[in-house]
Amino acid sequence: MKQPKKVKNVILKTGFYFILLMIFIYLLFPFYWAINSSLKSEAQLQMTPATMVPRDPATNSISPYLSNYKVIFQNQQFVRGLMNSTIVATSTTVLALVAGSFAAFALGKLRFRGKKPTLYMILAMTMFPQVTVLAGLYAVITTLQLPAITSMILSYMIFTLPFTTWVLTAFFKDLPLALLESAQVDGATPFQTFYKILLPLTAPAMVTTGLLAFIAAWNEYLFALTFTSIDPGARTVPVAIAYFTGAVARQEPFGEIMAAAVVVTVPIVVLVLVFQKRIVAGLTAGAVKG
Amino acid sequence: MGSKKKHSELAKREERTAYKLLIPALVILLVIAIYPLGQVFYTSFTNRQFASSQETEFVGVDNYKSLLSMTVQKLEQEVDPDTNQPLFDEEGNPVYERPIAVLPREPIRYREYKQFSLFGNSYVLGATDVDFIDAIFNTLLFTVSSVVLELTLGLGIALVVHSNFKGRGATRTAMLIPWAVITVVSARMWEWMLAPNRTGFFNTLLDAMGTGNGRIAFLASSDLQLWAMVAVDVWKTTPFMALLLLAGMQTIPDELYEAAAIDGASPVKQFFSITFPLLKPAMAVALIFRTLDALRVFDVFQVLLGQSQYSMATYNYFQLIGNRNMGLASAIGVVIFIIIFGFAIGYIKMLGVDMDETA
Repeated sequence: MKQPKKVKNVILKTGFYFILLMIFIYLLFPFYWAINSSLKSEAQLQMTPATMVPRDPATNSISPYLSNYKVIFQNQQFVRGLMNSTIVATSTTVLALVAGSFAAFALGKLRFRGKKPTLYMILAMTMFPQVTVLAGLYAVITTLQLPAITSMILSYMIFTLPFTTWVLTAFFKDLPLALLESAQVDGATPFQTFYKILLPLTAPAMVTTGLLAFIAAWNEYLFALTFTSIDPGARTVPVAIAYFTGAVARQEPFGEIMAAAVVVTVPIVVLVLVFQKRIVAGLTAGAVKG
Repeated sequence: MGSKKKHSELAKREERTAYKLLIPALVILLVIAIYPLGQVFYTSFTNRQFASSQETEFVGVDNYKSLLSMTVQKLEQEVDPDTNQPLFDEEGNPVYERPIAVLPREPIRYREYKQFSLFGNSYVLGATDVDFIDAIFNTLLFTVSSVVLELTLGLGIALVVHSNFKGRGATRTAMLIPWAVITVVSARMWEWMLAPNRTGFFNTLLDAMGTGNGRIAFLASSDLQLWAMVAVDVWKTTPFMALLLLAGMQTIPDELYEAAAIDGASPVKQFFSITFPLLKPAMAVALIFRTLDALRVFDVFQVLLGQSQYSMATYNYFQLIGNRNMGLASAIGVVIFIIIFGFAIGYIKMLGVDMDETA
């Protein structure tokens, strides 16, 4: 009786790990392919069939090509894009966290009339389809003559501010009231309570939501493409990569594009790996609770 | 406790603080979301052109008419002028009159969208803006296919990761990688994998497997374009779906499974009688989020298809920036808003999501 059960177990286990392997390949292969292609010269990219590792067209021996990485850092569009994206994403995050934590404190801890409608409005805004206001927002921005960078920072509040407010409200709500009351008894104003007690306690939540806001802003394409259409100098990374052209405009330089793809993805992947647990918690808090 | 007066003063002070704290967020949202939304509604009834000296006029629902008007016309069989007999081609199929002959031209010109047969008669479906009708259809098909695939795959991955095994942490980490890749970047990564010859990964793979001719134009052929978009989107967002479902699974107490196992329930039975029903709320939320997100898809379509096939959002962008037609673009925005709003209400009604419970 014991023998067949063991065999069955081995089969089940093998099957399980096979499925797991397939999942791994599915999730990681496109990124591997980008790395692989970023290490190929134009001649190596044109080899048919495509090779799983960079190979020398003549000898077929493995020969990675590193110039793509050198070239993209000499590409003004790309380097400026990195700078612009950093400015836009950082400012967006700070603004969303400041305005969001103020609002979240009021919504999570204070009693006032009109709280429920405000909460519902914020929740509805987390699902707001940005594209519907594109034309109106563009009109507002051209009327106010805002520079592209400022326009992006402001408009990114549409998707970062409701989200940070919503998630932080949940965190504030869970903080013990006793702490607040004892501060009030000690004569602290609500503002002091906020800065001295609540803010340090919610730092972890701030890091999580801030990170998610940063990634969302770093990713954004629709507004960036629209608002930089007359100001190419303000293009962010996604726009720069979408418009990537090589030194020779003969054909799309996929080696360089893939190198750029790897360069902009690696920092985010590192961030994600470091803050993994927090990100998962933040994502599920934003969505499961939202 | 202090006097009643003092208490109410405290409450008032608290209320004032709350309003002050809310001001920055509300002002920002008013300027960037609520006012522009109102502006879009208003502009959609005008013929406003961007950066043009032309006077803006109120045109009523003309923009909506030119976007959405459709008509069905019957195509009569051509008659041979000499014999007065119905006309057939060499293979014996009836010859019908050309759609352009029956589609109305005034006040707005209709173009042929599709021809179809019903009960032996031939019809033509005409639309005033074939591109926009296509964009709506593309977006809906894209949304349904990608969300269904994401839910199925995400559920599978979540189930695998939920079981206890060595390397579970590493798998969860790997799941975050597609999510962390910028959408535009993932579009370009896939663009290169889908290259129309054997320099691309998929053509190489299919050719090595003996199918395809090694020259499949995934992104240029109108039969495959949409499915390429679905593939890119599914890769990027399935992990997110899986993470949400995994979080839902982790809230199900282990005791339930233990009790079921003692009662002799098989893993499959356990899935259908415990996991699935208890996972429903998490699935509902994930479904709503992904659907509303997919309906406004822009990045992948814009990067990979440009103006060869539109989604609703890329058509909006094209009318605004390419044609500088602000009135029409605004009307498109409103149509998208209504469609998305309709889906949201439908989901909430259908799935009975209790807003109070989540708030």
